[in-house]
Amino acid sequence: MSGVTLDGIVKAYGALQVVHGIDLTVAEKEFVVLVGPSGCGKSTTLRMVAGLEEITDGDLWIDGRRMNRVAPKDRDVAMVFQNYALYPHLNVAENMAFGLRIRKTPKDEIKTTIDDVAEVLGLTPYLDRRPADLSGGQRQRVAMGRAIVRHPKVFLFDEPLSNLDAKLRTQMRAEIKRLHNRLGVTSIYVTHDQVEAMTLADRIVVMNDGRIEQVGTPMELFNNPANTFVAGFLGSPPMNQMKATLTDSGARVGDATIRLNGVSSAQTGRDVILGIRPEHVSLSPGEATSALPIALDLVEPLGSEALLHARHGESNLVFKAETRGDIHHLSGVGEVHVPAHLVKLFDATTGQALSLGS
Amino acid sequence: MMKWNLYSRGDKIFAIVVSVLIGMFTVATLYPFIYIAAVSFSSGFAAQAGKVVLTPIGATLEAYGFILNDPQFWISYRNTFIYTIGGTIMSLMFIIPGAYALSRPQLKGRRAFNLFIAFTMWFNAGLIPFFLNMRDLGLLDSMFGIILAFAVNAFNIILLRNFFEAIPQSFEEAARMDGANDFQVLWKVFVPLSKPAIATITLFCIVSRWNGFFWAMVLLQSEEKIPLQVFLRHTISNLSDNDEFAIVQTEAGFSAETVTAAIIVCSIVPVLIVYPFIQKYFEKGILLGGVKE
Amino acid sequence: MTDRNTDVGGIPIEEVVIEAKEALRDRSPARRGETSWTRLWDHLRREWQIYLMLLPTIIWFIVFLYKPMYGLQIAFKDYSIFRGVAGSPWVGWEHFETLFSNDQFLRAVKNTITISFYNLLFGFPAPIILALMFNEVLHATYKRTAQTIVYLPHFISSVIISGIVITAFSPTAGIVNTVLDWLGFDAVYFLTQPEWFRPIFVGTGIWQEAGFGSIVFLAAIAGVNPSLYESAVVDGANRWQMMWRITVPSILPTILIMLIIRIGNIMEVSFELVILLYQPATYETADVVNTWVYRQGLQSGQYDLAAAAGLFNAVVAFVLVMTANTLSRRFSRTSLW
Repeated sequence: MSGVTLDGIVKAYGALQVVHGIDLTVAEKEFVVLVGPSGCGKSTTLRMVAGLEEITDGDLWIDGRRMNRVAPKDRDVAMVFQNYALYPHLNVAENMAFGLRIRKTPKDEIKTTIDDVAEVLGLTPYLDRRPADLSGGQRQRVAMGRAIVRHPKVFLFDEPLSNLDAKLRTQMRAEIKRLHNRLGVTSIYVTHDQVEAMTLADRIVVMNDGRIEQVGTPMELFNNPANTFVAGFLGSPPMNQMKATLTDSGARVGDATIRLNGVSSAQTGRDVILGIRPEHVSLSPGEATSALPIALDLVEPLGSEALLHARHGESNLVFKAETRGDIHHLSGVGEVHVPAHLVKLFDATTGQALSLGS
Repeated sequence: MMKWNLYSRGDKIFAIVVSVLIGMFTVATLYPFIYIAAVSFSSGFAAQAGKVVLTPIGATLEAYGFILNDPQFWISYRNTFIYTIGGTIMSLMFIIPGAYALSRPQLKGRRAFNLFIAFTMWFNAGLIPFFLNMRDLGLLDSMFGIILAFAVNAFNIILLRNFFEAIPQSFEEAARMDGANDFQVLWKVFVPLSKPAIATITLFCIVSRWNGFFWAMVLLQSEEKIPLQVFLRHTISNLSDNDEFAIVQTEAGFSAETVTAAIIVCSIVPVLIVYPFIQKYFEKGILLGGVKE
Repeated sequence: MTDRNTDVGGIPIEEVVIEAKEALRDRSPARRGETSWTRLWDHLRREWQIYLMLLPTIIWFIVFLYKPMYGLQIAFKDYSIFRGVAGSPWVGWEHFETLFSNDQFLRAVKNTITISFYNLLFGFPAPIILALMFNEVLHATYKRTAQTIVYLPHFISSVIISGIVITAFSPTAGIVNTVLDWLGFDAVYFLTQPEWFRPIFVGTGIWQEAGFGSIVFLAAIAGVNPSLYESAVVDGANRWQMMWRITVPSILPTILIMLIIRIGNIMEVSFELVILLYQPATYETADVVNTWVYRQGLQSGQYDLAAAAGLFNAVVAFVLVMTANTLSRRFSRTSLW
């Protein structure tokens, strides 16, 4: 039972409250990603779990033990820092051994542990190099190795990939995932990159402004965003959002109508935000689709797909379309076809997801 | 030198003129040392008559013989080493932990403590109260007193504190999560990471100890405790005050001038040997010293 | 505090509800009775090590720097060694009245300011000019060697400096008089003539510190954006114009700050070197406040009067330094200290 429970966690600096009561349970062996824009409180939350920030209010439980006043070193957690915090004066082996030495682990035990972990991470040839002589990816591995050697109950990752270039980031992302599958240690991972969140997480926690917006598996969040914030945060490009008014036959967007089933009479006339994922439209009509006229601005080819930047009324929209090796046929697009069952509706004032009927 | 080819004729002339002026200033800086060295190796007669200009006249080692046979010279030399090494170690023992503590954001009253220390750079009680305090503490004529009483200064602490503050927070946090306490964070992480700054401060300490004169002169009475600089001062003033002595020594092949010069050379040589190695640290150090509060 | 809840009776219902809500949210038992003292105790228990590390330094500052400040009160007392600082009777401003009717002290104040003024006038521009010149030297090794040499005198003790000066300016044996002799002048007894003390003192200071002082300005020059020079080259500027139109304006803030510091330190003449170079014959121009304090206090034992002079010096210096610091904050975002 090495789970982590946050129970009404609050962080305030004097009168300024930055985290407003986080409730979250991370199950044993689960990989949970905290994602959100910078300043949303995700790092602060992680640092409170680590014990690097004092918890202003609420309770933190790790493995069934209340940790609010336990020193970081006694929480049995390990952390990978954004800048890795590798000691430049120590070589790779010494960096990984640092924590074990401090804890007075026997020398031969340290050696076997380091060798094992180095093997797993592919660091064996670099053990006596200094961090300055390593590539970005190798440094990142050492930082993880330093966390792994201690066999902690919980891994904490604070934007560990943000210092890497795009290609390496993809590679290390997969490596972290494989490592987690192999070691099965409870992990909490903070990032601002929604792709990282989607690919790594068992469950994603979307945070904004010191609060949790939604918790769920990546696909739950992608398919059923609880509000416009989550809808706009996950997915690339994000979900298109347009002002609309519900009518008895669907939603009126500007001068077009998207046909929807099941608008109740009570909902008729209500102002909503209509959400359409860029990849959910098609260029030709299909079953139960509605045409949405657009004014095409720009076609950005990405290879097999292209992004269509377009306008409808006041809304700037982005859609994805297949290229089939050519983009000429896309330049004349004047409307897209929206399938009714993939349209999301949100309340125009609160931004919360709406369901039709009742 | 690549730039040279792109220079116009006027620029080339300007560069040459400047280089020559720099050369002249450099020679002017160096000349007194050469002159003193030349005097120290000259005969007493030549030195007294003012014949020495650039090279030794009537070359002789008599002046050195006179110095090196003076037991007080060796005692003072030894004392200077004791003050320098002991004093530097003492300084680091105060400054490193002190600067670390002052650099920690979790230290309550940090601003007040920093002000408490920085204030002494702006306001100093002065010679008399300091001297009377040393007397009240029973530290007159005490080697330990000299070592302790000049161990710390605000500037060095602030310099190192600034350096510590610039070390990314995550180094401390990572060590802490690894189970290190403050002493371990300091010795195993901060000190190794701050080698350049600590080297700079060590050198500041060494130089100020090696050169320290005024308070050693005021506070120390016993000859067996005085450092080289005080001995040097005694010798210079004794020699130049005593004409009779000078005449006698001239017959012996040395004079007040050559002996003074020889002691200067003897006390400068260690500085010259170490200087090329420490110079880069001082350049860094003075820039680190662009201190902020 | 803890048993406020039992007191429901007299309290308006809204407050009770708020209390109950707070109690629900705040289940940690330790938090409720927490006062600032237990919080502090908790903090000290966790962070005691840094306080332990700071302790020796704080004690040192108290014993060696703050206790003498307490001892400064003898400036207002009739100090006797036997009665000690605390036991000596107060005499008010008597010592200050004595000081300001003492010609030697007033002369020392005047000399301090005069010497500082000359130091500023001649000693301040020297490192700037040197740095600007170093910046124009192209040959890297030549530049490096020259820099190494001109920094050197900074590391030489004042006793050695004084030894060199005394030897070089010696009336019969010194090189200066040898050269004067070649040029057909009579020998000059430089160190016994009041009119020569200040030029020698200030000149020695330039010789010793100009090189080292240039480091700060060289660093400022190194910080100038190189593309400024490149665009000037493209615009057809020559090196001389670039020096005046780019380098000098770019390092002007540094120059101003250094100037302010120097003005702030006007009371700080390096009295150690004065003691080593002056003699009764040159007191007239050489005696500064600190050397006067040294003779009155440490040599003649008039501690209280000397302490009063020292206090006067320290207070003036403090006001000047604080003013300088305030001014320099306006010129640079990071303050000086």
